[in-house]
Amino acid sequence: MSDVVVNVNGLAKTFQVKQKAAGLRGSVRSLWRQNTREVTAVSDISFALQKGEMLAFIGPNGAGKSTTIKMLTGILYPSAGQASVLGFTPWKDRRKLGYHIGSVFGQKPQLWYHLPPEDTFRLFARIYELDMAEFQKRRDFLVESFQIADLLQTPVRKLSLGQRMKCEIAASLLHRPRIIFLDEPTIGLDVVAKQQIREAIRYLNEQEQTTIFLTSHDAGDIESLCKRVVIINHGRLIYDNSTSALKRQYLRRKIIDVRFAEPLTEPFALPCVETLKQGTHGLKLEFDGRDVPVETVVQQVMATKPTQDITIADPPLEEIIREIYKK
Amino acid sequence: MLLQLRRTTTKYTAITMTNLQNQLAYVWEALNRAVFIVLIMFVFVQLWTAVYETQGATEIAGLSLQATIWYFLIAEVMELGKIRHDERISEEVKDGSVAYTLTRPYNYLAYHFFNGLGETAVKMTLIFLLGLPLVVYYAGWPTVAPGQLLPVLLVGALAMLLDFFAFSIIGLLAFVTEDTFSFRLIYQKFVFILGGLMLPLDFLPGWLQPLARVLPFNLTTYAPAKLFVAFSWAQFWQILGLQILWLTIFGLILLRQYRWATKQLVVNGG
Repeated sequence: MSDVVVNVNGLAKTFQVKQKAAGLRGSVRSLWRQNTREVTAVSDISFALQKGEMLAFIGPNGAGKSTTIKMLTGILYPSAGQASVLGFTPWKDRRKLGYHIGSVFGQKPQLWYHLPPEDTFRLFARIYELDMAEFQKRRDFLVESFQIADLLQTPVRKLSLGQRMKCEIAASLLHRPRIIFLDEPTIGLDVVAKQQIREAIRYLNEQEQTTIFLTSHDAGDIESLCKRVVIINHGRLIYDNSTSALKRQYLRRKIIDVRFAEPLTEPFALPCVETLKQGTHGLKLEFDGRDVPVETVVQQVMATKPTQDITIADPPLEEIIREIYKK
Repeated sequence: MLLQLRRTTTKYTAITMTNLQNQLAYVWEALNRAVFIVLIMFVFVQLWTAVYETQGATEIAGLSLQATIWYFLIAEVMELGKIRHDERISEEVKDGSVAYTLTRPYNYLAYHFFNGLGETAVKMTLIFLLGLPLVVYYAGWPTVAPGQLLPVLLVGALAMLLDFFAFSIIGLLAFVTEDTFSFRLIYQKFVFILGGLMLPLDFLPGWLQPLARVLPFNLTTYAPAKLFVAFSWAQFWQILGLQILWLTIFGLILLRQYRWATKQLVVNGG
């Protein structure tokens, strides 16, 4: 049996967007003469996703991420190209596919607002035709994974955003989807809630080999969850490789932070290395790895004085992504 | 096969029951809105009492004042209790939550029907119970025979289904137009005039009555109300036949429209 969960080939989507001149005159004119402009949301993208993979599908606002997800979940018909999700053509087999996929849209609630999450969970159990004994086992597992036991009986309107999102994601996993589409699941959450959600997702992936298709503007989500990154911009796929390769390829600058056992007496100087900070026992340096190898800098630093601690850091992933988006 | 049927029944029942529970959270709001029936029925009672007194008639077009008052209660219960899912579909398209409701393993329109059924059950019960004391005070108890209740209920159920089909056609337009307010307004005005909400079809000018009787609007409101106050088997069979005909026509339109609309859908928010 093939392990390919998603196969996308030349997928494209264009929309006709209505245009109207500003002001009353424009409004009146648009009554009988409507101008439309063709907008290409997704243009000829191709990629495949294997079972159990955690893919970060990222791009700036309006890049085509959500449109791609909506085509892969069967809501939107593509203008061109093919896609297969778990062997189904999403827009043709939407209902059949629905049993096997889950989706969470961070800015759109799916839990019933006035009811406790438990009620939505029970409804979903019926909608996905789960055996009730199996549902209860599954629910208990997810309740433990997402640590939501004390939230189950509270009306959703009384939950914080973080609490609600944990319940939203748990609800999407009740029917054991083989792939889950997470569209900005941590948007607006505090660091603790983000961390809890990331841990739960990682746990689910490890335990059940659930394929994760994640879009996020949060570099933390990408770094801590996904081994592979696909970047889309202006509807085009501009990068598809491992997260570490992304860092290697784009991380030219390194930051070295050193703590010495003895006080520094002389100013530290090395060609092509910028001293960001120098104290009596500490030194912070920045350099371009192409100009001077990391080993050379480390050797020079260690030759200066006995060292207590040394760290070599990359610039944050966010900076790299920003650089790619600019291109 | 039998297991699948049981699962499907359980699925849609669960949707109705969940909305029913949700409505209980809104019960005071629903009650407040249902109070409108007391006001409108009081107006109708005063208005039609004056009309009958002015005419000096005990019956107009075969309906007594008591029957007319009961007619309006049933017509209002039907109209105010109807499933208003076209607004919900429009909201789903505008806020993007259609991304959830369209991808779940159920029939999208059946989901809205059974979802609306929970709400309708609460609304219809409240409206009827609140309007009942006033109507009984002015018009006494209804004269409908127990044996006629079943066919009236059947026509009432089909009236609701037909109305649901009509609003589904309007609702699915939201997949293209996003907003359906204007379409709904036009449809409702037809129901007001040709559907028998403002006055029974029997009171319309002679030249308009034959047309109004074959159009679908009266089958959603006038039909159950009229049969409730003045039941006749001949009219029942005629109404039933027309309801089935219009359900078939609307059903066929919906089948094509659904396929077309899902291809046209543009979801907001990315």
